[in-house]
Amino acid sequence: MSDSPPDVPVQPARRSFLQRASVVWIIPIVALVIALAVAWQSYAERGPLIEISFENASGVAVGQTELRYRDVAVGLVETMAFTETLDRVLVGVRLDKSVADFVDDGAQFYVVRPEISAQGISGLETVLSGVYIHGVWDTEPQGLQKRHDGSDDAPLSPAGQKGLTLRLRAAADATLTEKAPIVYQGLEVGRIGNATITEDGNAVEADAIIYAPHDRLISTATRFWDASGFSFSLGPGGATIDFSSVASLVSGGVTFRTVVSGGEPAKDGDSFLVYPDEGVARSSLFSEEEGRSLDLTAVFSDNVSGLAVDAPVDLGGVRVGRVTSLNGIVDKARFGDNRVRLAATLSIRPGRLGLEGEAGKQDALDFLKERVLEGMRARLATASILTGGLKVELVMIDGRTEPGVTLDTTREPNPMIPTTESDIADVTATAEGVFERINALPIEELLNSAIGLMDNLSRLSGSPDIRAIPADVRATIADLQAAVQEARNVIGSEDIQALPGRVAAVVAELQTLVAQLNEEDAAGRVLAAVDAARDAANGVSEATVGLPELIASIDEVSRKAQALPLEDMTSEITGLAADVRTFVTSDSTQALPAALVASLAEVDALLSDAREKGVTESLVSALDSTRIAATDVSAAFDEVPALIDRLNAIAAKAETVPLDQLSVDLSELMTSATAILDTQGARELPENLGDALQELRRVLTELREGGVVANVNATFDSARVAADTLADVARRLPAVLDQVRTVLTRTSGTIAGYDANSGIGRDLASALREVQRAAGAVSALARALERNPNSLLFGR
Amino acid sequence: MEIAGKVKSAREMGLVACRRCTRVWPGGTPTCGRCGHRMQSRDTTSLQKVWAWWIVGMMCYIPANLYPMLVTRTLVSTQDNTIVGGAVELAQHGNYGIALVIIAASVLIPIGKFIAVASLALGVRQGSRLSSARRQQLFEVVEYIGRWSMIDVFVVAILSSLVQLGALASIAPGVASLFFALSVIFTMLSAQSFDSRLIWDADSDDATTQPSVNPSNPNGVTA
Repeated sequence: MSDSPPDVPVQPARRSFLQRASVVWIIPIVALVIALAVAWQSYAERGPLIEISFENASGVAVGQTELRYRDVAVGLVETMAFTETLDRVLVGVRLDKSVADFVDDGAQFYVVRPEISAQGISGLETVLSGVYIHGVWDTEPQGLQKRHDGSDDAPLSPAGQKGLTLRLRAAADATLTEKAPIVYQGLEVGRIGNATITEDGNAVEADAIIYAPHDRLISTATRFWDASGFSFSLGPGGATIDFSSVASLVSGGVTFRTVVSGGEPAKDGDSFLVYPDEGVARSSLFSEEEGRSLDLTAVFSDNVSGLAVDAPVDLGGVRVGRVTSLNGIVDKARFGDNRVRLAATLSIRPGRLGLEGEAGKQDALDFLKERVLEGMRARLATASILTGGLKVELVMIDGRTEPGVTLDTTREPNPMIPTTESDIADVTATAEGVFERINALPIEELLNSAIGLMDNLSRLSGSPDIRAIPADVRATIADLQAAVQEARNVIGSEDIQALPGRVAAVVAELQTLVAQLNEEDAAGRVLAAVDAARDAANGVSEATVGLPELIASIDEVSRKAQALPLEDMTSEITGLAADVRTFVTSDSTQALPAALVASLAEVDALLSDAREKGVTESLVSALDSTRIAATDVSAAFDEVPALIDRLNAIAAKAETVPLDQLSVDLSELMTSATAILDTQGARELPENLGDALQELRRVLTELREGGVVANVNATFDSARVAADTLADVARRLPAVLDQVRTVLTRTSGTIAGYDANSGIGRDLASALREVQRAAGAVSALARALERNPNSLLFGR
Repeated sequence: MEIAGKVKSAREMGLVACRRCTRVWPGGTPTCGRCGHRMQSRDTTSLQKVWAWWIVGMMCYIPANLYPMLVTRTLVSTQDNTIVGGAVELAQHGNYGIALVIIAASVLIPIGKFIAVASLALGVRQGSRLSSARRQQLFEVVEYIGRWSMIDVFVVAILSSLVQLGALASIAPGVASLFFALSVIFTMLSAQSFDSRLIWDADSDDATTQPSVNPSNPNGVTA
């Protein structure tokens, strides 16, 4: 065994690695290759991560919330973080590579949440599936933008829906409601976006979109107006209630119409005014034909009320515009104090400024700028004395060319025009003074005095003394009759019979005299005299202002007079009359006619003399004097008020005069007169009486010629006409009152028709109640869904 | 195992057994004369196969744990659950028992299998502190228990076929279920590829290191 060769360790030839390797290794290699390929592919196909910042990210969940475009998922939320200042949430979304290039600057993102509004319910599916982020972008790839600002609300134009973007601005009385529909012929053709207040706080502006293809309805001649709620108007055609749609009734809405043709198609970003109603919108179209208006802002530091929207803006008395809105502003930085100032927006029509050619806004602005440099300012001025309304005046103030005061065109939103102190007449104070004076007139005292006078008069006439007068008077008349009988006897005498002849002669003389007077143009002078007399009468009428007091005084006097012992006086007079009779029957009286005849003869002679001696010239001059005298009287009557005062004083004194004593004295006087008549001297009286009668007749004649009676008649006529007019007016009053009552009855009937409990009022109330109930149900549903979304699933 | 040293393996006695019909043939016989199976005293590529399957199984096991196993979709929400996440969620809801079962079946057992197979394969080459008998037991346990890991996949398959209520609720197998099934299959293959006779060879090798110089084995079969 030992000689046997040692065992040579025989190693089998080592096979190559490939020979030894099992085929099984292919499997892990293949698996590895597949894994690597998948990893590489998924990495290569991975889209970019974009960041969208949101105000809040309620409902957004990492790995679950999708980014959708046209309701197709194109991304997934991968990260959520805050911005550095924690004011927004940054949501990182892994985007599909296929859409990455489209997510450019114009892309908009918003979180779709369930929303229940007056326009309907939207995003209901997200109640169950959770919210998702909706992306809106156009169809032109413009490179990826990695950072975006998302909004909480849906943008105006939904994905892919084209439209015309407008800027709507509410006029003073109109309202703009966010997200309200824009309705045309009952069809929703657009939508209003988020509304903002303009910088000056005077108006509300909002973006709006009109969806294609309705955008072709909009042109520069289109007018928008507020169609929210319902309008109620009461006119000659009856009552009208108008509301467009229930949605706009609840949430507000805007409608429009292109009233006239010829406008140019509107462009994106055009600005339109929203008018309060259709009427205003339509009329605005015609009033704006003079070109687009230029808006200016004027800040008035006066604290005055009375300026209102639509107040006129005047330039040199011509209305060039109107006030479109008013606002109070407090700007300490600008004015230096905290006072509230009145900021008025003035809408100026360039076409009314009188500029040549087609004056545009810029021309008007340049013109006004120049004028302001020359001293033009805006100020408040009284527009109506009665209402105290104000207007804005553009006036040139001399010497106000201080440098630095210009039309400030840099102000937003409107250029600002400088102002000056306002010019407001204090009419109310003046009117108040007038009324106070009228109030101070002693009308009541006057009436009281008049009433007192009447009372006293009636008491006077009712007194037994006065009643007794007629009897006494009858006795007096009987005596007079007897006296007249005697007088007839006298007249029946021969001398008297001869009188007519003489008289005829006298008349003939007079005729010639008058003829001469005619030649001397006496009539013209008389007319002048009469004119003067009329002036005098005017003076008198002016002078009668003080009459009330006079009447009062007279009243006093008459009251005293009432107390007089009239009975005694009448008996005295009766006695006097008896004496007169005896006197008339006396011989000397019988001789009186002869004396009369003689006197007529004297007159005759006198007239003859007069004719011869050119009396007419004297008469003419006398008339001249008369006229002068009348003028003087008229002048004198100017002082009559004073005179009346005097008279008043006299009357007042008369009140104090002891009339009783006077009457006693009068009685005594009468007694004395009777005694005198019995004396011899009295018997000589008839001659004197004859002269006196002559005088009397002349006076009477003058009086008749003076036309007193005619004047009185005319006066009465005028009074009657006045009374007739009054009566006519009074007759018409009932008719007028009837009409007023009818109108009132109709009005009350109409208004009663709109009483809440009847007719259309009830329908409207029930309709509103339905709307309210529906809204309540919707809100309850929303609350329930919010609290327990599963309820939709399980019906609980 | 004291007698182990005295036991001679078939190989040492120049014999080789058919692994299909167990007929014993003299060493060097290329194919079984009875059933035609290829004769091999020891599978020389056994360890390679073990490791290859093991690696593929491990590769599949990673996504099986990262991706969702089960996608539960209801009206309100969609829930993706990975294996461990689902178990943790169940535990949080108080279902500790089910959580334990899932953890055991889906995590402990697969990972235990990986470790066991790896340690068996390593033990062939570098020796092990465990005795050969223990390793044999371990191998048998791994082989036996491997199939039960598929219980997860079955649960997912049954659930997703049963719970299909249209829009209201549906359960779909997640990506992980596929990977998990693959992982289980590959680890089973890995375990099957292991030639358990190698466990014992180490013992006999130890015993035959001395008799290797023994001339009483002139025609030592080296197969």
